[in-house]
Amino acid sequence: MSTDTGAGTKSDASESTASSINLESVRAVAKKDFQDAVRSWVFWGLSAFFFLLIVGITGSLAYFGEDIAAEGATTAMLVFFASETTRLVIPLIALVLGWKSIAGERESGSIKILLSLPHSRKDVLLGKLLGRSAVLSLSLIVGFVAAAAVVAALLGGFDVVDYAALLLMAMIYGVAYTSIAVSLSSLTKSTTVAGAAMFSVFLLFYGVWNGILEALQQLMNRGTIDGVSYTAELTAPDGTTEEITQERLPDWALFVDMIDPGNAFQNTITVLSSTGGDELGTAYPEYYFADDVPFYLENWFSFIILLIWIVVPIAVALYRFDRVDL
Amino acid sequence: MPAITVDSLTKSYGQELALEELSFEVEDGEVFGFLGPNGAGKSTTINLLLDFIRPTSGRIEVLGLDAQAHSRDIRSRTGVLPEGVETYERLTARQHLEFAIDSKGADDDPEALLERVDLADAIDKKAGGYSKGMAQRLMLAMALVGEPDLLILDEPSTGLDPNGAREMREIVREENERGATVFFSSHIMEQVEAVCDRVGILRDGEMVAVDTVEGLRESAGSGTTLRVTVDRIDDAAMQAVRSLADVTEARLEGGDPPVITAQVDGSKTAVLGELEDRDIEIQDFSTREASLEDVFQSYTTGETGVEAR
Repeated sequence: MSTDTGAGTKSDASESTASSINLESVRAVAKKDFQDAVRSWVFWGLSAFFFLLIVGITGSLAYFGEDIAAEGATTAMLVFFASETTRLVIPLIALVLGWKSIAGERESGSIKILLSLPHSRKDVLLGKLLGRSAVLSLSLIVGFVAAAAVVAALLGGFDVVDYAALLLMAMIYGVAYTSIAVSLSSLTKSTTVAGAAMFSVFLLFYGVWNGILEALQQLMNRGTIDGVSYTAELTAPDGTTEEITQERLPDWALFVDMIDPGNAFQNTITVLSSTGGDELGTAYPEYYFADDVPFYLENWFSFIILLIWIVVPIAVALYRFDRVDL
Repeated sequence: MPAITVDSLTKSYGQELALEELSFEVEDGEVFGFLGPNGAGKSTTINLLLDFIRPTSGRIEVLGLDAQAHSRDIRSRTGVLPEGVETYERLTARQHLEFAIDSKGADDDPEALLERVDLADAIDKKAGGYSKGMAQRLMLAMALVGEPDLLILDEPSTGLDPNGAREMREIVREENERGATVFFSSHIMEQVEAVCDRVGILRDGEMVAVDTVEGLRESAGSGTTLRVTVDRIDDAAMQAVRSLADVTEARLEGGDPPVITAQVDGSKTAVLGELEDRDIEIQDFSTREASLEDVFQSYTTGETGVEAR
């Protein structure tokens, strides 16, 4: 042994592991990450994809939807169809974009390049979230803006508010799934495990979530959980009205349905645009509720839900990523 | 103030001990060679210095700061060449360096840095197409960004040809003259002996020797190995050679023609003279200084002594 200095002391580093956040570092990491993605075909591919998506839907509407056009609801219809499609497509894109964001760098060791520089682990996570979100958001903007002219030409009219609402919410929806993806990617060193996690999230919100609702419905029918009875007034074609009393799932079960980011995405669009709430998302009819609608089942609450989907995953990742061996 | 203080550092993965009660210091302004065979714990130690992993117990200070609590401050004053790391294949050398310069708030010129590592012609090529040696040069250039007070180079010669390794050592010297402390890990003695003021030899997670290069050379038993090829040999002659004052050990390697190897401390001619006096014809002879490589080998493979190879 060489120069021993004092007796061996137990590490007092137990809880001093939390790193700080430096906005300059976050920006530098995000910029690098964005360049890294933009240089590849991904960014332009995505932009072209969104462009074609909007143009395709608009073209179909213009071709098949003359009746709709006559009613002057074309942008609303476009928003309807486009939100149905983006609801399914954006999670896929975000999960694929975020999949390797951290796990890939840990697997290849290049995370040591990032962390040899004066960035904290939190800076790296936030920078990655920002960089990947920017790839998705900017490609949405490029695609949507480029498609706007075609939309205006084909539909003969163009509601900027509806269109912008769809674009804005698609971006926020994308950030939520990017947060989920980057966070999951930070939990493992293996891109294979990270890939499995992405696939699980996909399954969860494309299948399992609906299954949960189905199961709750069954449980209610069997009397295991108490439903809520409500009275609705139906108007028959001959003009007579009839009151019927039925059971619906309790508020908390309806809330479970609201949590699905896809439903939250579409609910927020109904708030911002003229596209009807009865076609999109979860929007519950007023007669469900004897008194006021609970605030957490109102459509505006879906903004909070999306926000939570952005904040909670990354917050968990920020906490945990500080504490692992790379 | 030492540049690096490692005190009773232990790192275990479950049952497996990667480092055990490791203690050493790197003085401010020196070039310290951190030597050990693969798997001895060199990278673990470096990962701990940079807070990539956390110690099981023990204390680490770098540039006078706690390695965990002040990791960002440490890394802002440190240039690192990590080992076994892939570069960002879609970014060019210029972009890599701009990222490092940006991250450190430095104002270096990417082109000048790449000229120092002899990579200036590839400045706008994407790193995905680089050879291992080119990637290593790029990472060395990144480590130099911002005139760091401390350079931590983990196996910097990996992938470099002998000429590249020489250039790398030249840069280490320049940086040291500028005032930087250099912590340089390697599993090859030859690469550290030329530039290092002191060398620490790590074996199975423990420091088995820390000394200056000269000190290590002395501890090797400063002898010379003499190999003599003769036309014939007999026991009496061997005995006579062994009993010479300057010879510590002599062995007959047999063969045809036979070869004698002798560890000689002083005059080599005494051995040759003794053989000639006995009318044994010397067909050939060579001498070899005990190299640091021998010292390294003895510390890291054998139980004791230089002969264990």
